[in-house]
Amino acid sequence: MTCINYLSAIQDLVDGTIGAIRRAEVEQHLEQCAECRALHDDLQRLHDAAAALPALSPPDGAWLQIAGRLRQEGRLHDVAPSARAPRVHSAWLAVAAALVIAVGASVFALFPRTAQPPSAPAPAPHVSAQGNAADTKSVETVQSEVDLAQQQFEKAIADLEKVAKANQQALDPGTAATLEKNIGITDMAIAESRAAVKAEPTSVAARETLFDALRQKVSLLQDTIALVNEMRKGNNAGAAQMLNKS
Amino acid sequence: MSTSKVTVHPAATRAAGAGREAERALVERCRRGELGAFEELYRAHAGRIYGLAYRMLGNPADAEDLLQEIFLSAHRKLDSFRGDSALGTWLYRLATNQILDHVRSRAARAGQVTDGMDDMSAFADASGHRLGDRAIDRVDLERAIAQLPEGCRAAFVLHDVEGLEHQEIADVLGIAEGTSKSQVHKARLRLRALLGRSSA
Repeated sequence: MTCINYLSAIQDLVDGTIGAIRRAEVEQHLEQCAECRALHDDLQRLHDAAAALPALSPPDGAWLQIAGRLRQEGRLHDVAPSARAPRVHSAWLAVAAALVIAVGASVFALFPRTAQPPSAPAPAPHVSAQGNAADTKSVETVQSEVDLAQQQFEKAIADLEKVAKANQQALDPGTAATLEKNIGITDMAIAESRAAVKAEPTSVAARETLFDALRQKVSLLQDTIALVNEMRKGNNAGAAQMLNKS
Repeated sequence: MSTSKVTVHPAATRAAGAGREAERALVERCRRGELGAFEELYRAHAGRIYGLAYRMLGNPADAEDLLQEIFLSAHRKLDSFRGDSALGTWLYRLATNQILDHVRSRAARAGQVTDGMDDMSAFADASGHRLGDRAIDRVDLERAIAQLPEGCRAAFVLHDVEGLEHQEIADVLGIAEGTSKSQVHKARLRLRALLGRSSA
């Protein structure tokens, strides 16, 4: 049995808040008492392990939800691709993967009582990636990540298009035509970017442009769904506000 | 219950001197509504804030919801950021206050911030379960923290994980300094019992 009278002092010793005289007394006791020594060692290890816990990575979809809401409020906007700093390809993979989740969230927002987000991953947190693994990736690995990111963007776009088209009747014909026209313009930009990537597969700039065009289309489709959602809720003022922004 | 707010965090203070000029530029870009700038701010700070929310609330879904609310609120309040402190400090303070408001309102709904686990039962619970020589697994520790009673968990996370002093914890949780100390001590004993049991 651990000596109950030393319990508080052992905790203070772990905290480093014990006075010198009491400290000497407790340390002498610990030398003689295996139970108390084990307790002190365990509490110290717990304290140290807790202090060393790392930051956690939030779920991938969290940022897209935040960005989507701020965009709807008119507080955020995209910047022209030329003004952006170059990005690492693997970042696009993360964005693309997150989009798949965001598509699910869009569907859920549209049909809160009847639909569920498709296959969102388990929300258990994981440790932030550390180190410079990206720097040591082979060209093949980078290429395969780029291809995978592109596939995931395209999957997200296909899912969003399905939802947007199925609900377009909620929009008045004029608005639907405007959105259709904008989507057409984005599609042309995507086609041109794809041709550029095909002509120069190793060009970082060409890939960045393609991903920007893909992302623009995702934004446009997400806005369309948000607009349909506002109209379904009967929030004509909110819908009008969104239209004025776009 | 006190409504005192967090004023500063040690880790945030340590980083306060660096990159103020870059921070000011980033904040300015965020104020102009640049998506990329706010994403940069989010990527730099979301992990720490999500970790705090997750550990304080004990479940990932609430933590994610709160993370979104914190960053939405941060964007709306960017105009009030004067650069007197580091951006990370400002954001951490905003996040902590929002998380604590959530904890308080949840505790108020449940009855009380503190819990019914007394020192003796925590001690008796822990005394039969040693951790042994193996290293404490991070995932096991996270899981055990999530099982702590609410008041106990908040004090433990703020003290042992986040590094706040008992006086600061007492202020933000609206409890006595001695209560904060007692809660942290009880939490450690309970964690020892939980982890010792799982390793037995």
